[in-house]
Amino acid sequence: MAIVPTGLARVSSLLRSNTTSQSITAVQQQLLEIQNELATGKHLTAPSVNPGDSVIAQQLRKSLELNQSYAANLKSANSKLSEVDSTLADLTDLLQQAQNIASQNVGSDVTPDARIAAAAVIDSIYSQAMSIANKQSGGVYLFGGDRSTTAPYVDTAGGVQFVGGNNQLQNTVSDQQTSYFTVNGTGVFGAISSQVQGTANLTPTITSTTRIDDLRGTSGGGVKLSSIVVGNGSTSATVDLSGAKSIGDVVNLINQAGVSGVTASIASNGHSLQLAASGSETISVVDTANGTSAYELGILQTTPASAGATVTGTNVNAGITPLTTLASLRDGAGIDTVNGFTISNGGTSSVIDLSGAVTVEDLLNKINSSNTGARAEINESGTGINVLNATQGTDLRISENGGTTASDMGLRSLTPSTALADLNGGKGVQFAAGNDITITRTDGTTFGVDLDGSVTIQDVINKINTADGGNGTTASFSTTGNGIAITDTAGGGGSMALSAANYSNAPADLGLLATPVGNVLNGADTNPIRSNGVFSNLAKLRAGLLSSDTAKITEAAEGLATDQGRVVIVRGTTGAKLQELTNRTNRLEDQNVATKSLLSDLEDTNYTEAISKFQTLQTQLQAAMQAGAAQMRLSLLDFLG
Amino acid sequence: MSLSGILNIGQKALALQQSAIQVTGNNIANAGNADYTRQTLGATPSKDQQIGPGMYIGTGVDLTGITRQVDEALLGRLRGSISDDESADTVQQWLGRVESTFNELTDDDLSTQMSTFFKGWSNLANTPQDNGLRQVVIQNGMSLAGNFNDLRVQLGNLSMDVNGRVDGLATDANGLAQQIANLNAQIVEAEGASGGSANGLRDARDAAINKLSALIDVKTIPQANGTLNVYVGSEPLIINADNRGIATKKEVVNGVQTTSLVFKRDGGSLNITSGQLGGIVTVRQQITDVIDQTDALAKNLIFELNKLHASGQGLSGYTTVTGTNTVDDATLALNDPAAGLDFTPTNGSFVIHVKDKTTGLESSTLMQIDLDGLNGNDTTLNSLAASLSGVNGVQGSISGGKLTIATTSSNLEVSFSQDSSGALAALGINNFFTGTDANTIGVNSSLAAKPSLLAASKNGEPADNQTAIAISQLETTGLKGLNGQSLNDAYQSTVTQVAVAAANAKTNAAAASSVHDTLMAQREMLSGVSLDEEAINLMRQQRAFQGAARLVSAVDELMRTLLSIT
Repeated sequence: MAIVPTGLARVSSLLRSNTTSQSITAVQQQLLEIQNELATGKHLTAPSVNPGDSVIAQQLRKSLELNQSYAANLKSANSKLSEVDSTLADLTDLLQQAQNIASQNVGSDVTPDARIAAAAVIDSIYSQAMSIANKQSGGVYLFGGDRSTTAPYVDTAGGVQFVGGNNQLQNTVSDQQTSYFTVNGTGVFGAISSQVQGTANLTPTITSTTRIDDLRGTSGGGVKLSSIVVGNGSTSATVDLSGAKSIGDVVNLINQAGVSGVTASIASNGHSLQLAASGSETISVVDTANGTSAYELGILQTTPASAGATVTGTNVNAGITPLTTLASLRDGAGIDTVNGFTISNGGTSSVIDLSGAVTVEDLLNKINSSNTGARAEINESGTGINVLNATQGTDLRISENGGTTASDMGLRSLTPSTALADLNGGKGVQFAAGNDITITRTDGTTFGVDLDGSVTIQDVINKINTADGGNGTTASFSTTGNGIAITDTAGGGGSMALSAANYSNAPADLGLLATPVGNVLNGADTNPIRSNGVFSNLAKLRAGLLSSDTAKITEAAEGLATDQGRVVIVRGTTGAKLQELTNRTNRLEDQNVATKSLLSDLEDTNYTEAISKFQTLQTQLQAAMQAGAAQMRLSLLDFLG
Repeated sequence: MSLSGILNIGQKALALQQSAIQVTGNNIANAGNADYTRQTLGATPSKDQQIGPGMYIGTGVDLTGITRQVDEALLGRLRGSISDDESADTVQQWLGRVESTFNELTDDDLSTQMSTFFKGWSNLANTPQDNGLRQVVIQNGMSLAGNFNDLRVQLGNLSMDVNGRVDGLATDANGLAQQIANLNAQIVEAEGASGGSANGLRDARDAAINKLSALIDVKTIPQANGTLNVYVGSEPLIINADNRGIATKKEVVNGVQTTSLVFKRDGGSLNITSGQLGGIVTVRQQITDVIDQTDALAKNLIFELNKLHASGQGLSGYTTVTGTNTVDDATLALNDPAAGLDFTPTNGSFVIHVKDKTTGLESSTLMQIDLDGLNGNDTTLNSLAASLSGVNGVQGSISGGKLTIATTSSNLEVSFSQDSSGALAALGINNFFTGTDANTIGVNSSLAAKPSLLAASKNGEPADNQTAIAISQLETTGLKGLNGQSLNDAYQSTVTQVAVAAANAKTNAAAASSVHDTLMAQREMLSGVSLDEEAINLMRQQRAFQGAARLVSAVDELMRTLLSIT
């Protein structure tokens, strides 16, 4: 409200009435504001009432709204993990029960009939375990990962196959963090074998279209591009690579930077970048502060190169993606796509024909659609391909089909370098004292082989060949299928034979007790890939009980104990996660209370203050009216006769 | 000195006091008229008469004039304060309306709508395969889009109202200017003949100038002949009786239809900084800024969300999908402004996946979006469609500037991922939002028809939720297009900007009103009529009149006495 300056020499009638009307209007306006504040309970009726406070109020409101979303996510995660926890408790009980049955039926006093009866109980446990594995919560299969739209565990002829995903689902639970709300099924049920990871580094060559996102870089942890400084000895330029999406973009950006005499390109080795000098330039490449681009791209050259020298970077380590061509794998050497390879799993076997395959995706598709229960995927670091046995209880073997395809990818389940100790599911090869094998040549002569001291399959091959001494028997590694092949060229009309010497288990353990075909004995692959887990162990226990095989029952019981141990660990982790979620929920609630109180301080009416102000204004209005009325009533004209 | 001389003195006094009473009466009559300037009567003793050497005798009183009690300098300042007061009031009123369109700090403002929308995505991430939750996300999206549309329409209406108001006020201002010019002419005519002051006309002119000042800020320069020249900025509006006139001109400024003020006669522009029209010009700029910011917010929401969505996959793929955005010239690089895309793609690539529904197997192809400007092989809509057709099982075609990607068999479906170029979002393929700004934002109708197309997955697995999570975090993620601000920050800064402007307008209005009141009080001190004062004057003048009448009566008696002698 305007204050009229006093000290006026004259006061006109209009000024008096105007002043009165202005003061009444001003007080009435303020009264309206207070009345509105009192009626709505809000002090901040609009942001302009107090822009500073309203900015904070808006932020607080937003944080409350976000918290609502986090609280819903926490609640959902909590309910799912609680379900997991109780499910795992059930599973632990079931496994304990199965182990008890195993220990009760392993003694010699148990009759086969009693074991058959016990097998029926295991059947029931098996089916209960299946329903646990396929349990849903709120429409999500708890153990199905990111493929949780269908039941993750499928009963197939050979065993139980895991068709779920291995990625755990997560969601946002605070401004910066996400939290898992499903559990990895393989961690619980042991669904997928771990020993089938391709051993070969398949790092592909790069082309100008290779995406930066697909590079693992020098560190192997990926490439984040920012700026680099490229110099030629006399001038230098900062090249902003942050917009580069492909190797071609990087090359173009460096070449456009205008550092004369320096030309970037992909090196002839196919896996690095190079910067060539046209004359006597001394090329240098450094990162800008906090940047790692030059380092990750392998072209870091802090000390300028010698005059005219080409800077050839180190391997940029392109990662494998479904789009990578098979020909570019193994640093451009590619893989054998002519012969393909064989996958056998349980009773099925399939030759993977790669003749039409161009990309890694084609290869993966061929394997995944081979109906062998094998699942192929690119490993996590993008350096190789894994073929996993997703079916519990079956033996998966990957062998060559006359070529080198499986070896090229490091996928062959048995190779000359396989350690003997790994064979037969880790039981290894048991040698006897003295000779282990007796081989009868086609000419009727025999020779013995002492395999003691052999560590790998190649050692066995070498020992056989040494023992033969060049008399017509040659051991080698099969080019088709897996195993040791023994070829007899001694001549003669007899038939070739191989038998165990000194009751040695080694020929059986090495898969050599096969019947020779003609003069060739093709050994078997005794290093199958098997995924063990709850279902295979239960199946094994059942089979052991049905056949009264106590060794099998004991083996199954040991397996189940391992399974139980694993489940207990997962349950422990889940429990800890649940605790964490509960703590988070509590913290969130505390935070909400504090935020709401702060918001109320800013937004809500302070009734004491508002009412006092209301009363003051009422008095002010009354005073203005009275003063105005009194003044206007008074006129000299009234006193003049 | 004769008796008749004395009688003459009485007569002059009577006439003068009569005039004085008339002036007082006029003052009293205009006591309530704010435009009226108090008048006073000037009198001077009549020329003395020499009755003997060195002896002079008075001859009564003469009227010297009736003067307006006015301070021209004060009036100038008062007019400035009227302009400022009106300008501040106008800004305050309009900004209040802008602020109320945002309806901020309530539970149904745009900010809450955005929270609800993004919360829907976050909730979808909990059960990514749920079609019901997808429907919720889509409905929330429609509601958010509707809110943007409403807000934009309201702001657009305000902008139109403002321009409409300019027209109305310009007509008023022109009328007043003409009135002032006419009064200038009348004053010259009236005063030139008599040499005095045409008080009534001058009051009328002052009132008209005050009214004009309420509309635009003017400066006045009094001239010797009694006229007042009026200037707007440094440009003359009225010289003597000549009025250049005020008119409006419709023009498009930065793509917005704007009404600006010009001189009617020659079309020269008026530089107005205050008054109601000045306030409107200020507030119009602010409304335009707010509209721009709201559009930018919607545009970034659309593009950034679509970029994430376009690289994501739903529960099912497309057998055919048509872009929602149009390319004007399919032969130009996609990032060429003349290609006509509202969202500009960058150099990069995306992956198209073709899935055989019978086998469940997928075949992926990297599509290069070459926009590096090198080698003359940049991607155009035509070349993209051709490359797409080169993918096994896919047919790319263009119709009406829109790209259609279809499969060649109903057993096949396509999906997209890893779009580093933003081309899919720019062309409107597999997008969530359609439109380009707050006015046109909407939800892609194909999603509403088939919620399973809503992309929650990033890696192609049906129950993956990575895209849903990424979108749910978009609200608080810093965006390049908003200078590093997040959607939430940008919205809040718009609201705060309006709030601060509105709060400032309120303070300015109070300050301007205070200055105006003070100057008004000073004007009233000098020019206002005080009834008490006039009552005293009246009494004095009445007594003086009575005295003069008594003088006449005394002379009359004296005459009678003298005549009776005879």
